[in-house]
Amino acid sequence: MNQPVPIPALELRSLSKTFYLPRRGSFLPRTTAHHAVTDVNLILPQNAILGLVGESGSGKTTTGMMALRLVQPTSGQIHVDGTDITHLDHVALKPLRRKMQVVFQDSYSALDPMMTLSQIVAEPLHIHAQGTPAEQIESALAMMERTGLHRSYGSRYPHELSGGQRQRVAIARALILRPSVLVADEPTSALDVSVKAQIINLLLDLQAEMGLSILFISHDLSVVRSLTDTVAVMWGGRIVEQAATETIFADARHPYTRGLLDAIPVLNPRDRRQRQFLTREQIQSQIPRICGPKTGQLVQVAPGHLVEAVQP
Amino acid sequence: MTRSPLYFALRRFADNKAAVVCGVILLTIILMAIFAPLITQTGYEDQDFLTEALAFPSGAHLMGIDDLGRDFFARIVYGARVSLTIGLSAALFSVVIGIPLGAISGYYGGVADWFVMRLIELFSVVPPLLAAMLLGALTGGGFVTIVLIAALFGWVQVCLLVRAQVKAFREKEFVRAAQALGATPGYIIRRHLIPNSVSPIIVGFVLAIPLAMMLEASLSFLGIGVPPPTPSWGQMINVGMNFMYFYWHMAVFPTAALAITVLATTLFGDGLRDALDPTLKGR
Amino acid sequence: MIRYILGRLISVALTFTVVSVIVFLMMHAVPGGPFDGNDMPVNDAVKAKLNASLGLDRPLHIQYFKYMWGVLHFDFGIPFQSPGETVLQLLARAWPPSLILGGSGVLIGAPLGILLGIAAALRRNTWVDYLASAFATLGLTVPVFVISMMLIMVFAVWLGWLPASGWDRPYSWILPIAAYAAIPMATYARYTRSAMLDVLNKPFVTVLRAKGISERRIIFQHVLRNAALPMITVFLPMFIGTATGSIFVEAMFRVPGLGAYFVSSINLRDYPLEMALILMITFMFCIAYLISDIVYALVNPRIRVGGRQ
Repeated sequence: MNQPVPIPALELRSLSKTFYLPRRGSFLPRTTAHHAVTDVNLILPQNAILGLVGESGSGKTTTGMMALRLVQPTSGQIHVDGTDITHLDHVALKPLRRKMQVVFQDSYSALDPMMTLSQIVAEPLHIHAQGTPAEQIESALAMMERTGLHRSYGSRYPHELSGGQRQRVAIARALILRPSVLVADEPTSALDVSVKAQIINLLLDLQAEMGLSILFISHDLSVVRSLTDTVAVMWGGRIVEQAATETIFADARHPYTRGLLDAIPVLNPRDRRQRQFLTREQIQSQIPRICGPKTGQLVQVAPGHLVEAVQP
Repeated sequence: MTRSPLYFALRRFADNKAAVVCGVILLTIILMAIFAPLITQTGYEDQDFLTEALAFPSGAHLMGIDDLGRDFFARIVYGARVSLTIGLSAALFSVVIGIPLGAISGYYGGVADWFVMRLIELFSVVPPLLAAMLLGALTGGGFVTIVLIAALFGWVQVCLLVRAQVKAFREKEFVRAAQALGATPGYIIRRHLIPNSVSPIIVGFVLAIPLAMMLEASLSFLGIGVPPPTPSWGQMINVGMNFMYFYWHMAVFPTAALAITVLATTLFGDGLRDALDPTLKGR
Repeated sequence: MIRYILGRLISVALTFTVVSVIVFLMMHAVPGGPFDGNDMPVNDAVKAKLNASLGLDRPLHIQYFKYMWGVLHFDFGIPFQSPGETVLQLLARAWPPSLILGGSGVLIGAPLGILLGIAAALRRNTWVDYLASAFATLGLTVPVFVISMMLIMVFAVWLGWLPASGWDRPYSWILPIAAYAAIPMATYARYTRSAMLDVLNKPFVTVLRAKGISERRIIFQHVLRNAALPMITVFLPMFIGTATGSIFVEAMFRVPGLGAYFVSSINLRDYPLEMALILMITFMFCIAYLISDIVYALVNPRIRVGGRQ
């Protein structure tokens, strides 16, 4: 029996990005190539949350930005709800942009300091010309209430709010157009622990209610654990392991992933395991000797569990 | 009670006593210029007092009488009109030219920025006064010409200020968020970047005024500015120099008027700048 | 680094060429040549001959190229107002007064300004600071001819101590030099004060004090060095600007310098002199900015060593 394969909300195929940095000290313009992202393949199904984790510089933010086409990929394709948006021009892209929105880490610089909150949340409606100005403000206020802010906040300015409240505004703005995909780039990293939990719960509620898919980028594994369905681990611009969340936490195969897990602070000293802090070379040498057609190729070790391999 | 960023700026400004005083002085001068006919007994070209030419200040004539028998106070007050009008108009034009150029070069960078910077370089190496004199001689002086010339040398400052602000804000996440929504660069510049550049724009505007006034006074001093009999402080200083030794009022009053106005405007502008954006201070 | 210098050189050359074309066109757009004025009435035939002899009848672009070719060989032609010499000779005659007075103004004013700025920074928020800052602000905002006027009124007319004009005796140089010194002094006082305040608050100064180094050494060896950069880069353009003579100072003190000649060249439509003056001064500014930029790039380790990596 053939089940129709559901179209993923977001699909990245062989996505790569190389930055060319000017090299100093020579007469002719010479540049060094920095491969920020290499050959990333990701599928974000409808109504699911995918965590993208890695250290600073692993390329996860760049990947997220490419998914939104805020950064142009050097090669590869981006599909949103089945449509290839990689090379669309600005005019064709604009209506499709409604389907994919973003929440950033720095909530303060994510909001225009000269606009009131209701103006900020209503702006997407304004840009896409939906409804009259009065209707736009009303929708904005409703959305703000949905994210936990009283509608009287509408006339306030960003600098009057706390970090958590600003992030709620950012989420309201991102979701007011009912996108299919939300790229959340470290939205909780700048928040206090208690506020983190509130925002995570908010995201979970909204995701369930709106049938939204979220690409959740973070370096904080404990946050990722409470939120995501699947996790992809990035290191040096490549995906090194990808599996269901609980699988990653229970049975990580790649030494880098294990290193990340070991680094999670544990509350009870008795529960602290023997931690391993490995260098890059050590990690390289410990990559499981799994057969694969190419070095660095992702190989399926179990259903839905992919790990980077080396040639035997 | 919601407080916009501008409210705090006003508070900071009010704390700066020197700037407030200068603002008051400036306002007084502006009011005097506007209501000139009400506070002067004669017009600026009425040569009613020829028999008492060059008289010193007295109760009847607060600033004395000039060499052509005109009430000097009237000449000074109407001279304020000339200086202020030219200063404000030129500053307005400077802003009109400077904002778009600054916004475009700040937002797009690359070739557009290179081009605008070369343009700025062009206007920076040519000594403004010499070029203004050449242009003045070319066009024969006159009101509109002087305003345009002053604007031509005043836009650079505004442009640089706006460019710096736009560059700084361009990388902010709220701009990226707008881009993610599909907003065009034009929309982003209009709706986000320029409103956030209000401080540099105001500062640039106010500080362009004394520059323009100085340029006009310089040109008039050299004889190629506002044509007589329209009173111009620069021109009056020129005339006053000839009478300086014996009739001090001919030189002192226009000089003082010019100095006070330029000083007050500049300090007021400095105060505005410090209030609107404390980080702009220093240069 | 070399790339940067070459880039700036090309940019300067480009700017200079554009300026020369514009100035050239502007001057020749003024209706009327040197022989159209009323003080030298000539009939048309003679005028035509005179114009031809000066090459004024050739098409504009030819005139331009001929002129610029000459400029490259330091030949600026013959001034209309003084046909007995070349423009170059006239300029050589006219420049020393401006250079001496203006240059002295800068060379005296700048160090005075620096000292004033240091004093203000060290005695922050005391009367010394307020006085110095007020002085600095006045020097920058009050126009130079107003300053000259006030100097004349106070020292020449009222007190009678110093002569108000003239160029012959060094005694009469004092007031003009004082007038010229105002802006450099004010500029440097401001820069020094704010730069010093900036640096004095930095943590590394506290460390130096904790190490027990004397205050004086701290100021002169460490603080000033950090604060020096903007002051160095602003020096050359300022010097050029002042040493080429202020039109007003020269008019008020009756000094026969570059400024005075520029005014007369405009009034007499003396193209060669006008052109030469503007080109020369613009060129000097171009070079001044170029050198300043290079010095800045050399001294600022962030630019010298390289970009992000």
